[in-house]
Amino acid sequence: MKMAALCSEFGDLAQIKKQLISVISLCKERGLLHSAKWASELAFALDPLPKDNLPPEPAFTEEDAQDLDALTLAKSYFDLKEYDRAAYFLKGCCSQKAYFLYMYSRYLSGEKKKDDETVDSLGPLEKGQVRNEALRELRVELSKKHTARELDGFTLYLYGVVLRKLDLLKEAVEVFVEAIQALPLHWGAWLELSNLITNIEMLKSLSLPDCWIKDFFMAHMYTELQMIKEALQKYQNLIEAGFSKSTYIISQIAVAYHNIRDIDQALALFNELREHDPYRIDNMDTFSNLLYVKSMKPELSYLAHNLVEIDKYRVETCCVIGNYYSLRSQHEKAALYFQRALKLNPRCLGAWTLMGHEYMEMKNTSAAIQAYRHAIEVNKRDYRAWYGLGQTYEILKMPFYCLYYYRKAHQLRPNDSRMLVALGESYEKLSQQVEAKKCYWRAYSVGDVEKMALLKLAKLHEQLNESDDAAQCYMLYIQDIFSCGEQLEHAEVSTALRYLGQYYFKNKHYDEASLCAQRCCDYNDAREEGKALLRQISQVRDQVETPSADLFTPLSNNNTPVRRVSPLNLISFTP
Amino acid sequence: MTSSKITLPERRRLNKLILPLQQGPDLTLGQFLKTVEECCPQTAYAVKLRLHEMADGELKDMEYFFSTLPTPFTAFDSEAYKTSVVGLFMRHMLLAYNKLSFSQVYKLYKSLQHYYHSHYAKPTDGQVCVPTLAADDSDMDLTSTEDTVGDRADKEELDTPLHESELRCDNTPSRGPLSQKQAEYFLARQAYLLKNDENKALRPAALQEELNNMLKFNPDFAEAHYLNYLNSMRVQDIFLSAHSLLHYFDRLILSGNEGKSNGDEGYGRSLRYAALNLASLHCRFGHYQQADLALQEAIRIAQESNDHVCLQHCLSWLYTLEHMKGSESTVLTQDSVKMAAHFCLPYLGSLDIQSLVQQGAMQGKAAHKLMDALKDTEILHWKHSLSELIEISLAQTTSIWRMYGKSTMALQQAQLLLNMSSLEPVNFGVHQNNTEAFAVALCHLAELHAEQGLYSATSEIFQHLKEQFPPHTQHSKLWMLCDLKIQFERHMNNRKYHLAEPLVKAMSALNKTEGLYRKAQVLKALNRSTEAYSILQQLQVHCEKTKCTEIIIRVMLSTAELHWESSSFSTALPLLLQALALARQHHLQSLASEAILHLAFTQLMLGIPEQALNVLHEAMEPILAHGAVIDKGRAMLLAARCHMAVAGFRLKGQGHLGQHSAALAVDGLNEAESYFSRLNCKERLRDVHYLQAQLHRSLGQTARSNKSAMNFRLLDQELQSPAPPVFMQL
Repeated sequence: MKMAALCSEFGDLAQIKKQLISVISLCKERGLLHSAKWASELAFALDPLPKDNLPPEPAFTEEDAQDLDALTLAKSYFDLKEYDRAAYFLKGCCSQKAYFLYMYSRYLSGEKKKDDETVDSLGPLEKGQVRNEALRELRVELSKKHTARELDGFTLYLYGVVLRKLDLLKEAVEVFVEAIQALPLHWGAWLELSNLITNIEMLKSLSLPDCWIKDFFMAHMYTELQMIKEALQKYQNLIEAGFSKSTYIISQIAVAYHNIRDIDQALALFNELREHDPYRIDNMDTFSNLLYVKSMKPELSYLAHNLVEIDKYRVETCCVIGNYYSLRSQHEKAALYFQRALKLNPRCLGAWTLMGHEYMEMKNTSAAIQAYRHAIEVNKRDYRAWYGLGQTYEILKMPFYCLYYYRKAHQLRPNDSRMLVALGESYEKLSQQVEAKKCYWRAYSVGDVEKMALLKLAKLHEQLNESDDAAQCYMLYIQDIFSCGEQLEHAEVSTALRYLGQYYFKNKHYDEASLCAQRCCDYNDAREEGKALLRQISQVRDQVETPSADLFTPLSNNNTPVRRVSPLNLISFTP
Repeated sequence: MTSSKITLPERRRLNKLILPLQQGPDLTLGQFLKTVEECCPQTAYAVKLRLHEMADGELKDMEYFFSTLPTPFTAFDSEAYKTSVVGLFMRHMLLAYNKLSFSQVYKLYKSLQHYYHSHYAKPTDGQVCVPTLAADDSDMDLTSTEDTVGDRADKEELDTPLHESELRCDNTPSRGPLSQKQAEYFLARQAYLLKNDENKALRPAALQEELNNMLKFNPDFAEAHYLNYLNSMRVQDIFLSAHSLLHYFDRLILSGNEGKSNGDEGYGRSLRYAALNLASLHCRFGHYQQADLALQEAIRIAQESNDHVCLQHCLSWLYTLEHMKGSESTVLTQDSVKMAAHFCLPYLGSLDIQSLVQQGAMQGKAAHKLMDALKDTEILHWKHSLSELIEISLAQTTSIWRMYGKSTMALQQAQLLLNMSSLEPVNFGVHQNNTEAFAVALCHLAELHAEQGLYSATSEIFQHLKEQFPPHTQHSKLWMLCDLKIQFERHMNNRKYHLAEPLVKAMSALNKTEGLYRKAQVLKALNRSTEAYSILQQLQVHCEKTKCTEIIIRVMLSTAELHWESSSFSTALPLLLQALALARQHHLQSLASEAILHLAFTQLMLGIPEQALNVLHEAMEPILAHGAVIDKGRAMLLAARCHMAVAGFRLKGQGHLGQHSAALAVDGLNEAESYFSRLNCKERLRDVHYLQAQLHRSLGQTARSNKSAMNFRLLDQELQSPAPPVFMQL
């Protein structure tokens, strides 16, 4: 796949702009607000066109003229969310535009009724059973027209949506592809399609039109499929092609960086985004996650207050506030806000997982399990929820039981060291040292985030009396800690140094031993032992220099260290 | 509610109907009217009329109905007096109704209309209207209102043409959601069937689909996950079953925390059982190490929270696991019995005793003690009506009697179990379940019949087993092995080794030890002694490790037979004596008799027929009483040969024969002939005829001698294979 090459059409930005402007008006006429918004955002990022270069109004047919009054009336009802009324007045209209609006109003009316229904259902069991009653009728009518090939791009899109809502995913994919081919500029169809694509093979197998918008789609898809490198490349190309001002692209890149945990990059981008678009609420929950991870309290607080001022009844706002409270360790309130977010949109995946974390903090394990399970129900591939479930059971002291969940999480993120370390810990608790060692080593190999794997591995070797391996691991650990520059856990470095000192002393490498002992003295908790070791070393050295009869024999082969001397039992030393 | 006009029997029938209606699954209108009509046509008519009034009228008709509802509450003689069952239910209903908002009332009315009209919309009522959960492809949408409102509601989604189009473009999710009660009933029913009568349950794939459908609409329905787990176990799908099991317990933990009266206790409890169930899952899939870890975890949490009942369950699993791993677990089992008795857990206690009895029988514990123990558990079972354990107990007794070689007793016990009606409350009185106990009993029955040469009966039993336990089910291995064994024995007895040989492979697949033993037998019969000997040695070592006494004895006997072939009869003697001692020690009568037969033969060969006869007398009685037909024939033949030897019979020489012994020999041969002919065992018959001819000739009875000789000649021609040396075979 040539990721670098973009569609040739990017040479002519004016042309793209023209296309965008015309599609905006088409979407607007049909009440497709989100697609219009996306196209407008993109159009805004491009230079304005001169007056005479504006695209012409779309052709006005006889049919359109006939339906004009009904359409205008219906559209105004539609805008006021009186969908049934709009549909009533559009019945019998024969222009494509009117037909789309007619069907769309019926669809939305069904959706609206479904939502209202959920509020006053007759019993708790009905909750999952409320359905959009209009869907089946719409499907039958649309499928008739579809076989007669009377559907245009927009109605095909609607047909696809109906099919997807009826869980007829395979058919839906086909119809969306058809819709895209009929009208490539309609972003909504692309988005719907992206929700149905589960893997890269499926993506490759689709025959999509070669339009400039496909590059946006591919970039979006790569992000969804966690192929971040490719996605970033694609977005970079788009920026270079002239969309550098697009807030959409900036936000997408930021989200991509967030996904690969490149926190600083993502933060910088989000800050830039907020400069360009200070009243933006989309993606701000991701931003708050980043601020949370970095523990940037003032920034998070500022963001929360700002968003509340803009719109406090948005899912994103609630999530941001939840994160804010969580960072302030007010977990009850945090949970409350996540709950509110879920009330606003029950399919909001992030909120379920975050709520689970909050319950975990509150030690309410059963509620946490519930929240995580919900998250998994919404998206089976949510590794954080699986990981959270594992943690919950670990807290409940069921190390074997949580193995399953950690394994699941590991499956989803094979190269994430946190799961591997968690797996290792569980195995260690079950006295499965061989498996534990494998896990720790693998965690180190894939790039340990928390820098704990090596230490744990070393301790495990220490317990199993494999002193050489333990020493090697401690060495690697120290190298690792110092190479990353930050002084994270002093206590643990001192443990490593202490062990290494003892190890070298045992193996009669006195120079190295004294070096370690000296370094030990830099740390408060190991200072005494370091000094003690130094004393011991100097004692032995003194004895070497003044050879006495009984000591001479063992020290004669000083230069060839005795391998595999069992170390002191260090367990009593370690805190 | 014109109660005054209803006759007494009708009223009684109606009263009896109240409970099933209230607690049973939701019915369609057709079913409902039919049941009521059976009890009292008058009421059914009234109900129909009232429903018609409401459904074909307007909303106000339903409102009117509810407004008249409270009137009978105050009338003392009314069936619906406010404290009666019906009255309570009606008040319940009324309360729920009053709580509904306007739109909900409207919705209720709509559902009622659908419920009513769907019944009449269909052309043939009664038949189509029975949406038995399995065979319903119509588009029912049961949005029940739980039991808050008495009327069950279902509705058909769309008009017919649309419906057809739906069907045409298949793969639409076929059916809508079930109501709570229907779902519960469905789950309970399927789970019960899975346990007791797997054939009647839905096919695994169909059940899976059904469950997926259910979970789609009711994701909170935890029990469905459990059934999913059971279903996946059926097809040995470790991945899905583990997934469903954990999901179930995740869900259960929630409900345990919310609703249960014991609050936090209920939550912790499900955690313990979650771990225990995981252990059992791994155990079933043979992941012993994993099972061990899970079990340890369950034990640890149970100990921490002082849950003795759970600990007891863990203990039961622990000894089962140890047993499966092949290590000694008697002590654990004994502990388990004690603990179960202490905590008054009859089910577990008696299950433990049963395991203990099984282990005891294997180790050769005194028979009367085992039987006593079983009798004691029996009392417990009947007291607590633990029907499942009663079945197991009977099957176990059958097996133990069979092991001891008491075929009559085994037969009687097997018959007892098979003729027993089910005691399960769900299908009380139904004749048979397909549990493991039944499979075991049927297998024994088949083997017993085969022993008596009733092969057609045997094949009928296998036919039945095949139907009851299709090859993919978990107990099918039992009868497969049994079938193979019987075929193998038959071929071996007819000396058709080429037919027996392919069966060995099939047997090894089902049971390695058995397969190995049979392989040695075939090799021995084919005169490939060296290979046979090495296999037998290997088997003996293996079985001494696993303490499989029966096979050890059999191996010893086979080894002795190998020694005969090299004419080293005296070396066979110590082996045979050892086998005899072992068999006696373990009360294995049939094997003991077999050992005696071998012993007597050896002695005959060593030229001490008098001694052989003495020994043989000991075994004769049990063999004739309990033995297989072939054994009876062999014993009689051997006895006759001993008598002949005692009488001084030489094959070639014409000596003076002891008249008494000669007469006994003639009788013996005749009897053996009748046994062998019953089995149609021609090879052996040929031998018998040969001996008969010789014997008669030496007695000077020429006519009879000639007749026997002719029989021999006929058989010899038929068999077309050279007779092996007669005297070298038992």
